[in-house]
Amino acid sequence: MLLRPDRQDLSLVARFSGRVLLGLGGVMFVPAILAVAWNETNEAAGFVIGACLCLLAGMATQLPPRPRRAPDWQHGMVVSATSWLVGPFFAAVPLYLSGHYSRYLDAYFDAMSGLATAGLAVINDLDHLALSVNLWRHVLQFLGGQGLVVMMLSFFAVGGGAVGMYAGEAREDKILPNVARTARFIWRVALTWFVVGVLALWAALAIAGMPVWQGLFHAITLFMAAFDTGGFAPTSASVALYHSWLVELVIGVLMVAGALSFALHFHLWQRRTGELVRNIEIRFLAASLFALFAVAVAGLASTGAYTSTEALFRRGLFQIVSAHTGTGFNTVPGRMFVTDWGELAPAAIVMAMGLGAMAGSTAGGIKAIRVALTARSVMRQLLHLVLPEDAVTVATFHSGGSRQVLRPEVARSALMILLLYLLLYLVGALTAMFYGYPFDQAMFESTSAAAAVGLSVGITGPNLETGIKIVYILQMWIGRLEFIAVLVFMGFLWSAVRGRT
Amino acid sequence: MLFRPDHRDFRLIGYYSGKVIFGVGLAMLIPLVMAVLLGERNESYAFALGVGLAVSAGRAAELFLYTRHPLSTSHGLAIVAASWLLAPVFAAVPLLLSGHYVSYLDAYFESMSGFATIGLTLVNDLDHLARSMNLWRHLMQFLGGQGIVVVVLTILASAGGRIGALYTGEGREEKILPNVVRTARFIWRVAVGYFLIGSLLLWLAVWSAGLPAFTALYHAMNLFMAAFDTGGFATQSASVGFYHSPLVEAVLLPIMVAGAASFALHYQLWQRRGGELYRNIETRTLALSITGLLIITVVGLARTATFVDLAPLFRHGFFQIVSAHTTTGLATVPGRLYVTDWGVLAPAMIVSAMALGGMAGSTAGGIKAIRVGLIVKGLRRDIRKVLLPEDAVVVETFHSTTKRILRNEQVRAAATILLLWLVLYLAGGLVGLFYGYDLQLSLFESTAAASSGGLSVGVVRPDLEWPLKVLYIAQMVIGRLEFVAVFALAGYLVAIVRGEV
Amino acid sequence: MSDVRTRPVARGRVLLASLLIVGGLAGIVTLAELLRHPLPDTAPGGPPADEPAGDPRAEVTCDEPVPREGQERSDEDAASASRQFVRSNELYDCPQQFDGRRVRYRGEVVGAILRRADGAWVQLNDDVYADALGPLPAHRDFRGGNAGVGVFVSHQVADAIEAIGGPGERGDILEISGVFHRVDPATAEVAIIRSSEASVSAAGEPLVDPALADRRAAAILFLLLAAGLTVAERIVARRR
Repeated sequence: MLLRPDRQDLSLVARFSGRVLLGLGGVMFVPAILAVAWNETNEAAGFVIGACLCLLAGMATQLPPRPRRAPDWQHGMVVSATSWLVGPFFAAVPLYLSGHYSRYLDAYFDAMSGLATAGLAVINDLDHLALSVNLWRHVLQFLGGQGLVVMMLSFFAVGGGAVGMYAGEAREDKILPNVARTARFIWRVALTWFVVGVLALWAALAIAGMPVWQGLFHAITLFMAAFDTGGFAPTSASVALYHSWLVELVIGVLMVAGALSFALHFHLWQRRTGELVRNIEIRFLAASLFALFAVAVAGLASTGAYTSTEALFRRGLFQIVSAHTGTGFNTVPGRMFVTDWGELAPAAIVMAMGLGAMAGSTAGGIKAIRVALTARSVMRQLLHLVLPEDAVTVATFHSGGSRQVLRPEVARSALMILLLYLLLYLVGALTAMFYGYPFDQAMFESTSAAAAVGLSVGITGPNLETGIKIVYILQMWIGRLEFIAVLVFMGFLWSAVRGRT
Repeated sequence: MLFRPDHRDFRLIGYYSGKVIFGVGLAMLIPLVMAVLLGERNESYAFALGVGLAVSAGRAAELFLYTRHPLSTSHGLAIVAASWLLAPVFAAVPLLLSGHYVSYLDAYFESMSGFATIGLTLVNDLDHLARSMNLWRHLMQFLGGQGIVVVVLTILASAGGRIGALYTGEGREEKILPNVVRTARFIWRVAVGYFLIGSLLLWLAVWSAGLPAFTALYHAMNLFMAAFDTGGFATQSASVGFYHSPLVEAVLLPIMVAGAASFALHYQLWQRRGGELYRNIETRTLALSITGLLIITVVGLARTATFVDLAPLFRHGFFQIVSAHTTTGLATVPGRLYVTDWGVLAPAMIVSAMALGGMAGSTAGGIKAIRVGLIVKGLRRDIRKVLLPEDAVVVETFHSTTKRILRNEQVRAAATILLLWLVLYLAGGLVGLFYGYDLQLSLFESTAAASSGGLSVGVVRPDLEWPLKVLYIAQMVIGRLEFVAVFALAGYLVAIVRGEV
Repeated sequence: MSDVRTRPVARGRVLLASLLIVGGLAGIVTLAELLRHPLPDTAPGGPPADEPAGDPRAEVTCDEPVPREGQERSDEDAASASRQFVRSNELYDCPQQFDGRRVRYRGEVVGAILRRADGAWVQLNDDVYADALGPLPAHRDFRGGNAGVGVFVSHQVADAIEAIGGPGERGDILEISGVFHRVDPATAEVAIIRSSEASVSAAGEPLVDPALADRRAAAILFLLLAAGLTVAERIVARRR
């Protein structure tokens, strides 16, 4: 018994999605001004056009009379799904006008990849891209990343019932006061990290031999790509360009910071460092990073790709961290994963990408909390096999600053989402296989898209088949919004057509 | 809080495992008689030795471990796991003495593959193997296949409480023993009925394919045991491709499907309740998934232009998919061609088909249709819950013998086991990667071993590295006993060392 | 019995019982290993054993044009010009390259001859057991599984075949020349050769497997043990 959404619902959704567009349009003036300053006239025009389109569309949605009802979480979900679908459409305008994309779909792909903090790119000749456009690509990651965190922490966590379960923890706060407070906190943290991270990167780049002003540009773009686990890079060589372990180290720290949930950042902000060692997600992530790194090293050692231990550890660790945090930076040309890394190491990378990092961060993938809760619940069910029938056990886990009891509903929804993610990875791989790519490469690329990572073995590029592009766009969208928002969005559309009034 | 097992527990486990070994010894009399009749001297000595050892061990257990203590569920599970590990030790003796196996490990692998109805083989020069030995390979499938059905229907399904729920998603409340006898009698009656009809049909088909009458009878009986028990051994190294006959393939198809149908369904059909066929959640899931996978296979094969005409495409595509989905493992195509001539999509579908498997309570392996069906229903309910107002009550039902209401624990148990299956497949695939096989090959072979699919792309061969042999044996046991029994046995072992008094 | 009910097993007894079981199993394995066919001391020829055939990890490249025969040449030309035989592994590794091409092939007839209206199917194995070393029961030198191709031959050729390889029999070696098909246009069979010429190049022979006396002795011994235990069990059971 679905209810058909009435005019109020539609107007609410449009209104809030429009606000997102207004924000996007406002931000677009930043690269516009920079483009003028850098004497990139055509690009400046592109940004102004894009900004105006955003503002126009945004204003239009504010025209209908203010709805009487307050938005509930379902509206929030639909707004998120809509914004993440429509936002890239407008953000792609300046990208397309840069002349580096052969079709609008390609520009949309990159805009989606940026906003979803994936990092796959189908741009032509990145190395000759205008600075302002390049900056815009990275700003998209920052906007998408921080915006997503706001959404996760406010809409998802308070959904109660069905939705709260999917986040792995159900809070009981109201939406609006929390949104404002949470958002303010998130932006404060992000800005602090921004200042510190950019300075550190700038220094590292200077030591690596980069000219000062160019270094600043690279530092800013790299920071946004690393902290928001995006994975775009200012040049096509990605992090390998700098040939510097120091730069890699700083980026590594930033990636890990970006993969930490904001709840954890909050605890650290409050100087409750005990959370770092007790939190179930941290523990799981540490274990899984270590295990996958060991697997990768075993694989690399057996193929003899790297003879020196330093090269092996530096490359292996960076790639595993980059994959596990959902960032997608390379220090190795992507093609080498196939041609030089043997079988086991790329598999470890795919698994790292598939698992992803913490819920409530900008990282994608299944998320540590789900995997950890599922593992705990499975272990408990198995334990019951050997215990007497009437034995009662209670599983607990530590998260959000307190010890919580693992309830069956929570475990079940974590498990369901986990299965949905696996399905999403597989469907993408099947599509690429339909176009004749071998299984391992198809799996790699599909996981990379759906988990919003951005590592590539070379399938993704300007010449990618249209069918795969569309599937990857959908995967990024679905994977980024963690199914729930997409499902609610679909239900919204469905009930608009078939629901009862 | 584990309890250390008692004196009586060991007695019970030993006593009943001894009975199983005794049964294996009696079964060896059949090939013994055949070897004597055909004048295969050394083989007859080998079987005589096998009979001697197994019967001695069985009778010794009867003599020294006699007990009348009642069985509990955990005993049942431990007995099942222990028998499945011990019986191949005895069954492998004549195989090793046939002189066609490099080592005892290989012979053990082969008999495990037989008892677990897998179909992977390590035999050298199968085409010159003595007839009595070849019969024994196939007979093991029949014993193991019907045996597992007895186990599944009685011990696992009737275990009640958590294990029953974990196993089939439904908890029955019957006692084990009276049920075992009645169920077992029914199972053997059905099996013998099918044996007579199926062998007769196959005999006619194989005969008309051009084999001499007596050879044809021998082939027909072996083929029947391989197909109905979803085993997958074949009399000739070319498998079903040897017969070059669409008729033989057409007769094998319904036999394989009958083998993958649960005995609960057979019972319903036996009682002339044909409606169950299209209402049952498992048959529906199976029909849908076979159709879906077949379509993708056909698309894949059409894209690689492996088959130009539609008729051969369907003939080979359909046979391979059914053989994989029922986890039989008979092939009409040399396995190497899956890699070199079938593109990437079709083999992926074969792997998926093997992974999904047949029905619970049949000789088929894999995840099982009931779990997939329950999870899909569960997902549907979750989605509806998300879309509907919070206070709406959502009830999902499914049909299995009668209409039942989908309960939360069922979905959770099904999803848990499904996840364990995926982990099992992946773990085997990873180890294969470590030994340098590429992802496609190692995942194919690992799935074939764990799901009892038994199709091979050539990784399993006598030269296989021994750790992989051991791993595949472990996968076969774990997959065959669906985790539960193996964990119960493992629990016993842990409890011996760690349990409380 | 009541004291048993409350008495847990001592770890020592568990250890003893486990040792007993493991010992028994090890005994079975040892016995079987002792009684198996005598293994060859030295390889009786053929390709060296350390060269594994059909390793799926081996890199296979199919791009070179098949140097043997093109379709455009006539049968007689092809057959006389090429003295080289194609291997079944090559056919399966590169089916697209060989599809529709004329090939020469040589292998042992195994299993059975399947007579059809217009000819007969034979399975020709070209593995090491067919040609180089002979069937496994003759030498016990383990070289992996079988490999072969299904070949469609005329009735005359099928009539000429006397020995069919199988248990206790080494089959005739057939040399054929014919067209390889990924999918046979007439019968939809996969990866087969339709031969136009064929001849028996080496006759098969029955295999002799000398009786193993020690195995017979062990078999009788354990049958007696089994019989003894069975009788003993019956007696005890009647008393219970």
